[in-house]
Amino acid sequence: MTDIGLIAIGAGLAVLTGAGAGLGMGIATGKAVEAVARQPEANSKINALLLLGLALTESTAIYGFVTALVMIFTMGK
Amino acid sequence: MQFNMPSVGKWIAILLSLLLGIAALVLRARIAQPEKTEEGYKPAKKKRNLLMMAGVLLLWLCSGLFLGCFGLGGRVFQVAISPERMNILGFSVSSTVFVSWIVIAALALLALLLRVFVIPRFKETPRGIQLVLETAVSAINDLTKEKYGHANEGLASYFFALAALFVGSAIVELFGFRPPTTDLSMTLSYALVTFVLINFYGIYKKGVKGRLQSFVRPKAIIAPFKLLSDLAVPISLACRLFGNMLGGMVVVELVYFALGAFSVGIPAVLGLYFNAFHPLIQFFIFINLSLTFIGEAVEEVE
Repeated sequence: MTDIGLIAIGAGLAVLTGAGAGLGMGIATGKAVEAVARQPEANSKINALLLLGLALTESTAIYGFVTALVMIFTMGK
Repeated sequence: MQFNMPSVGKWIAILLSLLLGIAALVLRARIAQPEKTEEGYKPAKKKRNLLMMAGVLLLWLCSGLFLGCFGLGGRVFQVAISPERMNILGFSVSSTVFVSWIVIAALALLALLLRVFVIPRFKETPRGIQLVLETAVSAINDLTKEKYGHANEGLASYFFALAALFVGSAIVELFGFRPPTTDLSMTLSYALVTFVLINFYGIYKKGVKGRLQSFVRPKAIIAPFKLLSDLAVPISLACRLFGNMLGGMVVVELVYFALGAFSVGIPAVLGLYFNAFHPLIQFFIFINLSLTFIGEAVEEVE
């Protein structure tokens, strides 16, 4: 197996973090929908909280993505 | 770029799709004002929509084939983590730094023009530009007040300037430059400013002793972890913005690469999300998180 093949496998493993982020974001959004259905008057507050939570959850996926990019573009040379 | 004359078959395919597309659009225009039948307008409307779709699709096919024949369009997939460097007056400067200078100059000019020509003419009831400006300023003031505890003009104006710079750098992408926010050095520098602000306001509000005490609360044993999570704030802020912006750019580049000569129209629809909506959400999150961390540092805990 060549070096570039191993780098590709590593990059693919690194972006697997997206699975966890997707799961977390889905759960958070579902809970937010439940909360809004229960208390529609708290809509704007829930919205702001959800956005903040999603940003924090998403960062795991973003770190994996950045790691994969760094691996592809800097390790091959 | 090579100019191979396309074969006769290709020319026929181009002309056929062009003619069929125009024919479909003309036919659609002919039945634009349908007679009302017993079933109402519905069947005619359906036919019009179908013809419209067919016409646009065929014209798109025609343009793609035409560009493909001459070897135009279709770029090489090229994405680098670090932007290319250029030479300005003997200094090696990153191209994104140069673009951000242009954005800063344009914003300064815009601010000056607004100050000289628009602000003296403000009226009691806001309209037009005044309404936009007042909405933006009051939105950032409210956000600061909500996160920081009470109104802070300096903080609000810094974050307003940051938002203007980010939006300006997103607009630059529409002109084909590489936006400065896809450079880790820019996002990291603004994240470091946030880090300095967190510590400045923490010490300003609570004093050095209070700031240090916040690390050992509620138990002394968690001090290293709190220190680590504080140090991780700028890195996570910088990587989040950088990764999101670079990811959008990579996706758009991939679409251009995959569609080749057919990249007419479709990338514009994607660009609406990846160049306009997505960056705005990310900038809002960057500012929101910065203010949240600053608010956390000044929070009074008994």
